[in-house]
Amino acid sequence: MAALRSQNRQMFWRIVRRLLGANRGRLFVILLALGAGAAVTAALLNLQVDARQRITTEFRAFGPNVLVLPKNASLSASRTLPESIVHSVPVDLSSGRVAVKSLLYFVAAVSTTQPGKSLSAVVAGTNPLAFVKVFAGSAPPLASTPMATGRECVVGTNVARQLNARQDTQLTLTIGDSREACLIASFRQVGGPEDDRVEIGLRTAQRLADLPGRISAIELIVPGTPSEIESYITDLQRVLPDAEVRPIRQFTDAQAKIYSRISSLLNSTVVLVLILTGLCVMAAMTNVAMERRNDVGLMKAIGGATRRVLRLFLAEAALLGLAGGLIGAAAGVFLSIWLGKQVFGVAAQPRLIVYPVAVALTIIVAILSAYPLRRLASVRPASVFRGEA
Amino acid sequence: MFLRLVADSFTRRPRRKVLTAAALSLGMAVVTAALSVSLDVGDRLASEFRSLGANLLVTPAADSLPLEIGGVDYRPVNAGAYLPEADLPKIKTVFWHNNIVAFAPVLEVSAMLPRVTYGDGQRSIPELPIPLIGTWASNRVQLPDGGIFVTGIAKTYPWFHVEGKWFSDEGRLERIEMPPMGHSYLPAPPECVAGEKLAARRDIKAGDQVVVSITTSGNTQNMESCDVTGILSSGGPEDEALLMPLASVQELADKPGQYRKLYVSALTKPEDGFARRDPKTMKADEFERWSCSPYVSSIAYSIKEVLPGTDVRVIRRVAEGEGSVLTRVRALLWMVTFAALLAAALAVGASAAASVMERRTEIGLMKALGAGSATVGFLLAAEQLLLAFVGGGIGYSLGIILARFVGLRIFGIAPAPSLLVLIAVLALAAGVTLLGSAIPLRRASRCEPAPILRGE
Repeated sequence: MAALRSQNRQMFWRIVRRLLGANRGRLFVILLALGAGAAVTAALLNLQVDARQRITTEFRAFGPNVLVLPKNASLSASRTLPESIVHSVPVDLSSGRVAVKSLLYFVAAVSTTQPGKSLSAVVAGTNPLAFVKVFAGSAPPLASTPMATGRECVVGTNVARQLNARQDTQLTLTIGDSREACLIASFRQVGGPEDDRVEIGLRTAQRLADLPGRISAIELIVPGTPSEIESYITDLQRVLPDAEVRPIRQFTDAQAKIYSRISSLLNSTVVLVLILTGLCVMAAMTNVAMERRNDVGLMKAIGGATRRVLRLFLAEAALLGLAGGLIGAAAGVFLSIWLGKQVFGVAAQPRLIVYPVAVALTIIVAILSAYPLRRLASVRPASVFRGEA
Repeated sequence: MFLRLVADSFTRRPRRKVLTAAALSLGMAVVTAALSVSLDVGDRLASEFRSLGANLLVTPAADSLPLEIGGVDYRPVNAGAYLPEADLPKIKTVFWHNNIVAFAPVLEVSAMLPRVTYGDGQRSIPELPIPLIGTWASNRVQLPDGGIFVTGIAKTYPWFHVEGKWFSDEGRLERIEMPPMGHSYLPAPPECVAGEKLAARRDIKAGDQVVVSITTSGNTQNMESCDVTGILSSGGPEDEALLMPLASVQELADKPGQYRKLYVSALTKPEDGFARRDPKTMKADEFERWSCSPYVSSIAYSIKEVLPGTDVRVIRRVAEGEGSVLTRVRALLWMVTFAALLAAALAVGASAAASVMERRTEIGLMKALGAGSATVGFLLAAEQLLLAFVGGGIGYSLGIILARFVGLRIFGIAPAPSLLVLIAVLALAAGVTLLGSAIPLRRASRCEPAPILRGE
């Protein structure tokens, strides 16, 4: 019994092999269509996964996206947080490292050594003094001046213009009796409130304002998708119950919006391409159905059950799908690397999850497009052998 | 005879031909949709991605340094300079006026909130200091050319969500019943929108009435009550503030017709090295090229020219981030088009090849009857071309519908049909089907007719 079954199985696969090899040209054509579909599917799905990461990176360049503030901060500018809470901010995420910057704001009198040049400006004590990302439009980076002394400051262009200050000008910052001096290390022009500020080291600022160990805000650049950022904020709020954690929605919103556009564009293209592939294979399969009337008639005449015959064709289609999918996915690796390079300037990393999905989709498409073969089930052996249509 | 043969092949097995034509049409529809979306939407994509909000900030040139901490300016009302609101329509007269999609003037002052009148009666509460923001929600601006431009903060800050509705910018009239004389219309209190944190703190809901007071530079106290129409959620410092129509705040602060900051949202071309050069160092022809490209810096320059006494700053964070994202998305669109094109071409070529392959017997018969290889090839090529044009035409019309659907669903823009795409699609259909048929045709025409007819 077992021997018979294994013999049966052998026969089954032998017939499948023969069916596939019957017409090399057509085999090639079907594989080409399925392969092209699979390659584009794999490449686009890969690009989609990659786009999520790349868009995240693009948005990181926008600067901080999460703020930690004292509760009810805007009611009075003098509210501060203890500096030690910085240590409870988690920085190592699965999506990358969080960049952290502590700030202390206050208003001080700023003057140059020239007499008469004095004005009130917002002073921000920051640690570190330069944020990870220096905007492309801003003037010489801080790297040109060594930061060892802690006596450098970064001056917004508006402040610099009103003070007539140049690089290496010495500034004096005064609050009441307290006084600190610093050298202008670079200028900043970002079109935001930073343009109206003088930034100095956090320690110097705390000494000047007589607020040792206090900060006004923490700015964070949190990498990741909008939902990852959202859950990070929730977690951080739980860790810091005395502070208020909020996203800079301008950027988190836009990121989510753009990513959803991109992914629906890619998804709809994938669906269209798969339908197209299916139709092409279906067109080829209609011929197959015509040609195989004799074969099927013979099989039925010598006792093949309709179900087994259909299973034969199903196995054939699935095999075609598998082969086409594998060839296509392999081509898709190269296609996606190239596409990634064109779009994001960086070769897309092949994501392993994408390829099984692409192959599975191709197999499904191949089986569905074998639909015309169902007509073979109704073939009547007698009429075939009599030569009737 | 030639035409009869062609016609015959179409009528004999209509189902199969229909299926091949359907594959061809769908392939071409995909190509059409992809091409029209990239060609048309690509250009207008910038407007779709203006979701980052304003990218230009206009401030008075003679202004004192703003003392802005956490988004709140701590200067007193009488410090610093103001700009005239009357100049604003001029913004839409600059060369790049079509690229300016929105602008909103802002007058921000610190005020007190002494009283809230809830729906069920009055309740006095301790005075609360709040930032008061005067701006346009969606104001109808009368342009110098006679047109109307609707703009305001809802457009420059697309991420602001208002539960309820925005305030109306124009003064309202209220019908007051006066029993002896019938009724009369009197100016109604303005409407306003409360930030969600402020609303939570004082339990303000839409429909309540709040009173704001401002101590002006003349040391007089101005009071005004307003009807809350909505609660604003911005995720920023505005959540603590009360937003009122610009005109009402001007009146309260004794600054008629003036504003402090103007946010402008403009469609721009991503900046390159050339765009970042200082226009003062450019030669005449370079300057012309620079000012004729919608770079954010050249738009800033042209705004500065029509609004005298202002300083126009590029909000770098927005402008640059947006530029780089836009470049990426545009590249992505073209790459997707290319990939769809590739898949469509291969699939259509393959089905064309299949349709020639199955006709080996027919070719054998024709050759046996004395047709030359050239004649046979010509016949089949004519057939394929006919199919390509029919399929390409149907595919084009299908693709236009598809492009509208995809464009509207994803980008909110329906691409217009273009003749260029039709020509490209027909050429591609013809090229791909001919190329796909060429290889099997050559093999078939090289075969001897006898073995084919014997069925070997």
